[in-house]
Amino acid sequence: MLCEKDIASAQERAKKVRLFAHDIHGVLTTNNLFCDVEGNKRYGFWHMDGFGDLSLTANDIKIAYLDTTSIDGEGLFRARELKLDKCYYSIADKTAKLQELMGEMGIDYSAVGYLGCELSDIAPMKKVGFGVATADAIDEVKAVAHYVTNCAGGKGAMREICEFILRAMGKWDGWVEKVTRMGYK
Amino acid sequence: MTREEAVEKAKKVRFVILDIHGVLTDNTLYYTQEGVKSEAFSLHDRLGVTALVEAGIGVSFLTSKISRADEQMGKIYGIPPERLWGSSAKIGRLDEFEKESGFKDEEICYVGDEMIDLGIMGRVGFSAAPADGSWEARGKADHVTAAGGGRGVVRELAQFILEAQGRWEGFVAQFK
Repeated sequence: MLCEKDIASAQERAKKVRLFAHDIHGVLTTNNLFCDVEGNKRYGFWHMDGFGDLSLTANDIKIAYLDTTSIDGEGLFRARELKLDKCYYSIADKTAKLQELMGEMGIDYSAVGYLGCELSDIAPMKKVGFGVATADAIDEVKAVAHYVTNCAGGKGAMREICEFILRAMGKWDGWVEKVTRMGYK
Repeated sequence: MTREEAVEKAKKVRFVILDIHGVLTDNTLYYTQEGVKSEAFSLHDRLGVTALVEAGIGVSFLTSKISRADEQMGKIYGIPPERLWGSSAKIGRLDEFEKESGFKDEEICYVGDEMIDLGIMGRVGFSAAPADGSWEARGKADHVTAAGGGRGVVRELAQFILEAQGRWEGFVAQFK
């Protein structure tokens, strides 16, 4: 497998991230779609990934949900739950959306991170400064990634990479302390 | 923390506070096509709650917001509505509870899985985390269960506490 990556160089890349974008299915979900006998569908999202999102936004890193395969708006349901609906984009072209967001923020690709798992993620991942594949991403995605998470999609990959980024930045321990004190508010 | 030390702490437990997401659930949020959220709980944990309550150890839920799913599970597990606590200020809620009940820190067990739980885990006498809890929560916990969240954490913990107190056999005897 193509999982072995250079951690030190991945950390250097992670340090620069100011915008972190990701796919939905296979990243926030396990790529399963549960369908009951009446035809009603449901989608499973990993609860702790929301804490990952919170960790990044609280440390001034912008999040972008780039959804090209929405079926029932499930990605938006999740973003709304996390009060990140403004960071959710149902779009056809991920790279174009990234460029638009970069323009608004005044940053270039070196400050963009991306977490993906499928063929449609290869184009943005080849451009960004810090491309990350989930543990169960297809080989083609892992090949272009700078880092591969230990967690699979829908099983904590997002939580894991958020921690990786903040650790690389040296912000993680301070954030842990801050959250530990949150119980007092 | 050795197992012996954890057992010593568990001996003093008279009340158990449970985080919900990632402890009673398997960490997954299922959204229906209409956007309704649902979660998967474990019925093994019902037996765990029953065992604790029968032994006179109170049980409560503590999460940032109590949902209707949590109310439903409270009913199924046999936890009275006044013990379903919704508060993101978990330590503040603990203080309030200790004031009204007279319980002390060392008599309370808290089970949590995320960084938001670290503060309260450091306060109580006995803290536990599920096998798949965050690295920080597992590091802080006096005891890490073999079960992952939503896979019988409370069932296992109830046995751990009651065995420490020499009361597990008594609970099991009624089924024989």
